[in-house]
Amino acid sequence: MLHRKQFYLACFSFHFLLIVFVGCGDIVAFIARGYTWLPGPFRAFAQKIETSVFAAFERVQPSNPVKQGITTYAHLAGIEAGYSFFAPSVPDNYKVVFELHYPDGRIEYDLPHASTRSGGLRLSTLIDNIGETDSDELREIMVKMLAYSVWQAHPEAIMIRAVLGFAALPTAAEFQRGIRESDQFVYAYDFVFPSPSDGRVP
Amino acid sequence: MKSALKKRLEEFLFPARSSRWIGLLRIGLGLQVTVNTLSLWSDWGSLFAAKSDTFIDRELTEALLSLSAPFVPRVAWFVTLGAQIGLSEAVTLRVTLACLLCSGLCLIAGFLSRPAAITAWLLHLAARSSGGFTAYGVDNFMTIGLFYLMLCPLPDRYSIDRRLGKKRTLDPRLVGFLQRLLQLHVCLIYFFAGLAKCLGAGWWNGNSIWRALTRSPFNVISADLLLRWSGLLPLLGICLCLLEVSYPFFVWPRKTRNIWYVCVLAMHVGIGVTMGLYLFAFIMIVLNVAAFGADLPPFSRPPRDWLPARRAVVRA
Repeated sequence: MLHRKQFYLACFSFHFLLIVFVGCGDIVAFIARGYTWLPGPFRAFAQKIETSVFAAFERVQPSNPVKQGITTYAHLAGIEAGYSFFAPSVPDNYKVVFELHYPDGRIEYDLPHASTRSGGLRLSTLIDNIGETDSDELREIMVKMLAYSVWQAHPEAIMIRAVLGFAALPTAAEFQRGIRESDQFVYAYDFVFPSPSDGRVP
Repeated sequence: MKSALKKRLEEFLFPARSSRWIGLLRIGLGLQVTVNTLSLWSDWGSLFAAKSDTFIDRELTEALLSLSAPFVPRVAWFVTLGAQIGLSEAVTLRVTLACLLCSGLCLIAGFLSRPAAITAWLLHLAARSSGGFTAYGVDNFMTIGLFYLMLCPLPDRYSIDRRLGKKRTLDPRLVGFLQRLLQLHVCLIYFFAGLAKCLGAGWWNGNSIWRALTRSPFNVISADLLLRWSGLLPLLGICLCLLEVSYPFFVWPRKTRNIWYVCVLAMHVGIGVTMGLYLFAFIMIVLNVAAFGADLPPFSRPPRDWLPARRAVVRA
């Protein structure tokens, strides 16, 4: 029983060190990036910790077997992400609008949509992820995939402009003064599709 | 001194516990898996198709996942397996979803508990990994819950498996150790969630609560109605911050456990009702009930007599 207990304790220690590491990584990142109300010296200190500890793990080659093992275990146990939902502040609500251009000059608008509330929640999460991604290339690929799915429903369209923006929410006091949610432009992408007469596949 | 500390740590980490909490976790997760699967029934094909007609292609998410964790289960594995026996992607996706639903129903009933727990964990994990950009909090917590359930000694005493005669002597200290894992994990979840909120100015002046409740798609309550109660938002924000960050300190002492436990359950019911996040609320309630509620009313009363395991001296 003693050996079994020692084994359980070793697993326990590894598991909880990972949870704490991921949780602390989130908190340190928020402070380092200035998302909190903490004064400057805290930010500088957090930046040091982020660079020396958390970024060091990120810098390890993805092919490193130890890193792969830890990352895989974290995914299997569901502990690879932190728990800072809607914190330290509630993020902006991103939106995508598609402007469909037809050969006759007609323009129509479409929004991404899901058939259920659950699907809608996931679609909303996806659009937020697109808006928040740091990689321009990845963002463009994801928007292009969404645009392609819209084009499948409207194959006569020859060009789709995808406009990504976010909804600037008023505070309660602003809302009381009559200010309402306003859409802010962030990015726009134009994707050209072949007209039906071309007979080509994009 | 060192040995006394070691003994106390051992007593804390390996308490003798009954498997009541495992039964609650199993039934709760079974319900969660079942309802979650049904809610995704019509969107499942779009979510996980290699060439999606609504969402991001699964292949992109899986390619990104392969860079960091190539051995994490994903939907592509099942699609490849299905192709080898002549099944199309669409059919394989439907079969996968049906298996997930069956595993959820088996978990509720406690029938083939262990295979059902492993199947539910594997399929849910694969779906979550392949739908990475569309996954949100509920998927994360379901994976956590199913991971612990899969490791738990099963079948528990409330399961059909037990009634069918699959008696198994469970080590009550191992049962207690796994409950401690879940308890400590839940504490860390609230601590980090609360700490992150405490660091945001918006949670102290009510602005974050307002934004959370008026932000699409969580704007279940109309902003006009919410405005009438806007005076209470700062108080609500502060209470949420303090409740979460102090959870690991007040949920352990007997005197404060009930208050914190009930307040956290009420918070999740509130989130479910006011933001429409019913599945998220339910999974958090399940994890809390399994971690700390199994020894509190209404679950603390003795089990009914029809279960054979009741006669065991140590009720495991």
